[in-house]
Amino acid sequence: MHDIDLKSDLLEPNAELAKENRETLASCGTYAVNLMSGPGAGKTSLLERLVPALARHLRVAVIEGDIVGSADAERIARLGVPVHQINTGGACHLDARMVHHAIHHVVRDGVDVLLIENVGNLVCPAEFDLGEDDAVMLLSVAEGHDKPKKYPLMFRRADLIVVNKVDLLGFTDFDYDEAVAAARDVHPGVDILPMSCRTGEGVTRVVEWIERRVAAKTAGHHHAAAVG
Amino acid sequence: MHEAGIALHLIECVVARLEPLPHGPVRRIHVRIGAMSGVCADALDFAFGCLARGTELAEARLVFEVVPLTVACVACGATNPVEDYVFRCPACGSERTAIASGRELEIRTLDVEDVEVPCHA
Repeated sequence: MHDIDLKSDLLEPNAELAKENRETLASCGTYAVNLMSGPGAGKTSLLERLVPALARHLRVAVIEGDIVGSADAERIARLGVPVHQINTGGACHLDARMVHHAIHHVVRDGVDVLLIENVGNLVCPAEFDLGEDDAVMLLSVAEGHDKPKKYPLMFRRADLIVVNKVDLLGFTDFDYDEAVAAARDVHPGVDILPMSCRTGEGVTRVVEWIERRVAAKTAGHHHAAAVG
Repeated sequence: MHEAGIALHLIECVVARLEPLPHGPVRRIHVRIGAMSGVCADALDFAFGCLARGTELAEARLVFEVVPLTVACVACGATNPVEDYVFRCPACGSERTAIASGRELEIRTLDVEDVEVPCHA
């Protein structure tokens, strides 16, 4: 009997493709968001708010990830921006390979912001880097304030946590301060914004957060181009 | 849910590593799995058992080393285990911490039988 060394990262194939995606997006000057949440937290509703607001000054494209169907892509197509539907056919998350193919469909004409809506799931999407610049996650009031400690990887991964459906706060036992405290235990210093897609409350702050990140990346891109 | 994909990649990695080497049967495959890797060892073991059938790894067994979740503090330099998913430094309370271990998901080593050399004496 003998030992054979084999130090091999089992997520390496995804990591390599995510790196390629990141390079493609950087060379196009495109800032990308990986939008994640549990099912029904309001990802598509948020996109319906974000896309028209961002499209006033920026070129926006969307990748929709769903297990089956194209209902969400049809909702986005009505907003008049390029959209590409990925059907995972059963897989519970998007991975870098799926996004790798989709990027070439939507980013070819020059896009400033690419919004990628992941499959509704608080578990698996958190493990797969897509090559995005920022991970934005939605927690909706109806899900309960205990979620950060139950799905720590997702809350740890998020660069921005949006608490959606705050118009329902008065009808539930959701404790907003407790949700924020738990999220900051898991991810100290993370940005957290309250919002309601239904009433429009707080949407502007989410739009501004993304615009700031786009501006930061664009400045970096120009700087790199000037130096390079 | 995606443990099957990971098991399949694991089998491909091991088979590719063994291919150029003279080797007997693989007995054990040592895998390091972080407490916050997001992968369930039981599910990975089950998927491996199913997918290894009909391959040269059909008789091999996965041996898991679970790596605890720890944070390293940027402010005070201490490394401590994470309790109840609180990622602030337990030593000084700083929020400036980075995960030091617990996200691993890697194959480490293989225990392989030696090739039987035919005796021509």
